[in-house]
Amino acid sequence: MARFAKKQTPDLDKKLKEDSYEHGDSFSTADYKHISQPGLSERVIREISSFKNEPEWMLQQRLKAYEIFKSKPMPNWGVDLSEIDFDQIRYYLRPTEDQVSSWQDVPSEVKDTFDRLGIPEAEQKVLAGVKTQLDSEVVYGSLKNVWAKYGVEFLSMDEGLQKHGDLVKEYFGKVIPAADNKFSALNAAVWSGGSFVYVPKGVDVKLPLQAYFRINAESSGQFERTLIIVDEGAKVHYIEGCTAPNFSSNSLHSGVIEIFVKKGAQCQYTTVQNWYKNIYNLVTQRAFVEEEGQMIWTDFNMGSKATMKYPGFVLAGKGAKGEVLSMALAGDDQHQDTGAKAIHLAPHTSSTIVSKSISKNGGRASYRGLVSIGPKAHRSKNTVICDALLLDSKSRSDTYPVDKVFNSQVEVQHEATVSKIGDDQLFYLMSRGISEEDARKMIVNGFVEDLIRKLPLEYAVEMNRLIDHEMEGSIG
Amino acid sequence: MRKIELKKSGKHVIELKKPGEEVEIVGIFETKGDERISVEVIIHHQAPRTQATTILKGVARDRGYIKFVGRIVIDPDCGQSNSFLTERILLLSDQAHAEAIPDLEILTDDVRCSHAASISNVSDEHLFYLMSRGLNKKQAEKLIISGFLET
Repeated sequence: MARFAKKQTPDLDKKLKEDSYEHGDSFSTADYKHISQPGLSERVIREISSFKNEPEWMLQQRLKAYEIFKSKPMPNWGVDLSEIDFDQIRYYLRPTEDQVSSWQDVPSEVKDTFDRLGIPEAEQKVLAGVKTQLDSEVVYGSLKNVWAKYGVEFLSMDEGLQKHGDLVKEYFGKVIPAADNKFSALNAAVWSGGSFVYVPKGVDVKLPLQAYFRINAESSGQFERTLIIVDEGAKVHYIEGCTAPNFSSNSLHSGVIEIFVKKGAQCQYTTVQNWYKNIYNLVTQRAFVEEEGQMIWTDFNMGSKATMKYPGFVLAGKGAKGEVLSMALAGDDQHQDTGAKAIHLAPHTSSTIVSKSISKNGGRASYRGLVSIGPKAHRSKNTVICDALLLDSKSRSDTYPVDKVFNSQVEVQHEATVSKIGDDQLFYLMSRGISEEDARKMIVNGFVEDLIRKLPLEYAVEMNRLIDHEMEGSIG
Repeated sequence: MRKIELKKSGKHVIELKKPGEEVEIVGIFETKGDERISVEVIIHHQAPRTQATTILKGVARDRGYIKFVGRIVIDPDCGQSNSFLTERILLLSDQAHAEAIPDLEILTDDVRCSHAASISNVSDEHLFYLMSRGLNKKQAEKLIISGFLET
C-alpha cells in the first residue's frame, strides 16, 4: 500500500519561483534622443547615415539596397506577411545619446528594464562580454579585460564600422548580399546596431558573448546587423536573446547575421527568441565556413507572431562542418516557419540538422529546409531529422525539406516524424502519481532535451523554465 | 488493401476518402543515358483511420536525373490515420543527379506520420565485401542494385 501512497514533497523555495519580470513591460519613449517619422524613403536613409557619421561607401550601399528592396516582391510562401505595412513602421529610434561601458551610466528607465531581465547579474557571473540594444541603438556594452587583452573585439556594428572600416568593407554583405531576399535588402538599407565581433587567430573565448535585443517602442522596426569573424583556429560562442513588450500594433524585427569561420575555427551562435506575440521576426543568418571549420547554430524560437528564419551555412573548405539545432514552439495564433540551409561546396564536408517543433492551441510550426550538395562536394554527408509534436487537434505541423544532390559520392538522409503525446506515456507517468499537467511538461521537456543540452548550463535551466511556462494550462 | 503501382513521370494524386481505407503505393524508377524522371505523389487523407504506405525508389545512371516529390496531407478530423513515405535514390555516376522532396502537412493531432529520404551511392564497403567473395565489380554492383530495388 505504501508504494501507492501520495508522497509529500515540499513546495519549491518561493524565491526560486518568484518572477519579478512581467512580460509586457515598457517605458515611455518621450526621452528618446531621436525618433524618425513612420515610413521609408531615401530621406530617412540619408538621415540614419548622417546621424552615424558613416563613410560615403556605406551610404551608397544603403541607397543601392533600398532600390533592390523596392524592386523585390513580397515572398508569397511561408508565413502570411500581408499585414505588414512598411509605411507605418518607424525605422530609426535612438534611445540614448551614446553607448556607455559602465552600468551606472545607463539611464535609469533603461536600467530598470534590463535589471528586471537579470542582465547585469548574469554578466558578472557567466559572460565574457555583453551588448544590450534597445530599439535601434546599442545602449550598453562591455567586454572583460581578459579577452580584450588578446585582441578580441566585441563592438556594436556602428563602432565596428568606425574603428575597423577596412574589415567591415571587406566582409559586409559578402555572404548575405542585399539582393538575397526582400528583407535582407531592407536591412542593408536601414540597418542600425547589432554586433561586430572579431576573434584573432587561435584565441578561444571560453565564456559566451551575449547580446540582448529589446524593442521598446510601438510599431517600430529593429534592423540589427551582426558581423562575426572568427580567425584561424579561434573559437567563440555568441548568444542573442530577444524580448519585447506587449503592444496592440505590430512591430518588425529583421536582422541580418553574417559569420565568417576561417580555417580550423569554431563558432556557435545561439538565439533565444521570445518576442512578444505581435512581432514579425524575419531574420537572415548565414555562415561561410572554410577548411576544417565548424559552425553550430542553436536556435530557439518561442515568441513572435510570425517567424521566418533559416540559419544556413556554406561549407566552402575541405572538411568543414555545420550543424543546425533548432526548436520552435508555436502557440495560439503563432506561425513559426523555421528551418535550415546547408550548402556543401567542398569535399569531405558534413552537416547535421535537427529540428524539433511543438504546436499547441492552434499554432502552426513548419520546417523548411534546403540541402544542396554541389558537384565538387565528394564524400559529403548530411543528415536531417525533424520531429514534430502536436498537442491538440487545432494545431498544425508541416515539413518541407528539399534535398539536391549533384554528385554520386554522398550520403544524404532525411527523416521526419509527427506525433502527439502518447496516451501510454501519459498513463505511465500518471500511474506514478504525477499530475497530467506535470506529466505533459515532462514529456515535452524530454522531447527537446538533446537540443537544450547544447546550451551552457544557466541557459538550459532557463530554457526548461520557459517551456514549462509556455505549457502552463495547456491540457487539451 | 488497395495496391497502386506508379510507372510514369508526372503528378499522381491519391485520395483516401472512406474511413478505414488502406493503400500501398510503390514506384520503382531507373534512368539510362540522358533520361529525366520527375514523379510527384500527393497522398491526401480525407477520412479517419486511413492508412497509407508509400515507397519510391530510383536508380540514376549515366547523366540521368531523378526527382521525387512526395506530399502527405492529413485533413482536420482524420484521427488515427497513419501515413509513411519513403524516398530512396541510388546514384551510379558522377554526372547523375537527384532531388528528393518529402513534404508533410498535418492538420490533426491523433496521427502517426513519418517520412524518410536518402540519396546515396553504392558504398565501397558493400562492393568490397561482395568482391572479396569472388564476384567481379559489375556483378557485385548488379547484386546491390537488385537488393536496393527489392521491396
